[in-house]
Amino acid sequence: CLRALNGQPPAAPTPRVVEREEEEEDEELTLKYGAKHVIMLFVPVTLCMVVVVATIKSVSFYTQNDGQRLIYTPFPEDTDTVGQRALNSILNATIMITVIIVMTLVLVMLYKYRCYKVIQGWLFLSSLLLLFFFSYIYLKEVFKTYNLAMDYITLAIIIWNFGVVGMMCIHWKGPLRLQQAYLIMISALMALVFIKYLPEWTAWLILAVISVYDLLAVLCPKGPLRILVETAQERNEPIFPALIYSSTMVWLVNMADTDRPNRNSTEAASPQQEPQEVASPVPSSPSQDDGGFTQSWVSQQEHRLGPLQSTEETRREIQQMPSARPPVEEDDEERGVKLGLGDFIFYSMLVGKASATASGDWNTTLACFVAILIGLCLTLLLLAIFKKALPALPISIFFGLVFYFATDNLVRPFMDKLALHQFYI
Amino acid sequence: MHLIIFQWLVNDYFCLIFLLISPGGFAFLPFLWLVNVVWFFREAFLKPSYTEQLQIKAYVKRSALGLLLWVAVLTTWITIYQHFRAEWGEVGDYLSFTIPLGIP
Repeated sequence: CLRALNGQPPAAPTPRVVEREEEEEDEELTLKYGAKHVIMLFVPVTLCMVVVVATIKSVSFYTQNDGQRLIYTPFPEDTDTVGQRALNSILNATIMITVIIVMTLVLVMLYKYRCYKVIQGWLFLSSLLLLFFFSYIYLKEVFKTYNLAMDYITLAIIIWNFGVVGMMCIHWKGPLRLQQAYLIMISALMALVFIKYLPEWTAWLILAVISVYDLLAVLCPKGPLRILVETAQERNEPIFPALIYSSTMVWLVNMADTDRPNRNSTEAASPQQEPQEVASPVPSSPSQDDGGFTQSWVSQQEHRLGPLQSTEETRREIQQMPSARPPVEEDDEERGVKLGLGDFIFYSMLVGKASATASGDWNTTLACFVAILIGLCLTLLLLAIFKKALPALPISIFFGLVFYFATDNLVRPFMDKLALHQFYI
Repeated sequence: MHLIIFQWLVNDYFCLIFLLISPGGFAFLPFLWLVNVVWFFREAFLKPSYTEQLQIKAYVKRSALGLLLWVAVLTTWITIYQHFRAEWGEVGDYLSFTIPLGIP
């Protein structure tokens, strides 16, 4: 809520009345903007799922069983007995989950001990792999499916462009929409890889176990993901952009930053975003304190408005005015919502697997899709109520799994019987 | 007053960052230039002018030029390739990444 910055500050009412008023206003705003955020996340999640389902349906490569497996899931599922298959899938899931837990712990440890270079290098390499290698395979399969000829030269140019612009958008700066599009695409690619290389029962087990793990990791006090989020908040840093989809870009105008060498830099974002609270300046020494305005900007302003007199006194005066703008943490209408890419990947994987292997075909796919969206809604509602980082996987995956198995085993035979007897309800 | 000023500053800084890398930087990146043209078109040509705008205009024009050049080259090559691929025999196969089944 940006109140007008004009004229006199309002006469200060008693603190308690102000608090209660603010609380009520807060709640109203929370629910109102919670709804907006839900919509902002529906679109990308839907897009990701649409891409995955469309690929699964058209490109048969991703549903073929080549006999290849990931090294994380060494036990085959085409065994003789059901018992053996169940055992194998449980073992596979255990191995996979252990790998994921270990990697998460390593990541959190690295983050905690400030080994940023290692983390960035790792993220860089993995997005390199996704953007170049997996998209190369994807294109190859798409061309094969549609029986098109493609030469190496054009292909090299396409992949090079796609990859380089993708790396720039994800790791550095780029138009918001493009960055969101790239994140959706790499999530879809990753989900497709999982769908291809994870055998059936293993996949469902992994989905179930990972949502339990997500719940524990984010909510338990010692959970690694919770530690990660809290450390990031303490240090007032954004968590790696390569791992998180955000519906808007949060940017800070750093008037004076003690950590970074370039004091007067502003991290800018999409031009449509309106600036939020100006961080309170900490002048390091009187002589260097030009208030954070770069020299060129000051000269621009002087050219437009006439000579400025931004001195220590005027700045202090402005800062001492009661802040008519709410602090950054509560200003959530411009903030948007962030969703981790892992969530995208597992949602799409669930829907993709449902469309690939279900006997009920579109019924089951649509049911899972709706289930995931309902779960997402509920999660965002809880987020609006609790206002802290919440796991996005458990509710959606739980609903998704329930709907998948219910639809496949109960609804589909029911519908078939109805159609058989021409009985319309 | 305050808010407008910062928005302008933000726009500007971001534009400059993104455009600087385009013409000089990597070669063979028509997609990047396309993104530049599309994204900064409004900024360069439709907004009321400000001092930095001349620079931005120059960059957008250069990006558009590079883009057009690349589109022309690529279209020519792709047409030639698709048309003559079957006739080139071995060379055609060597160049091909995916070879369609059936009789051309």
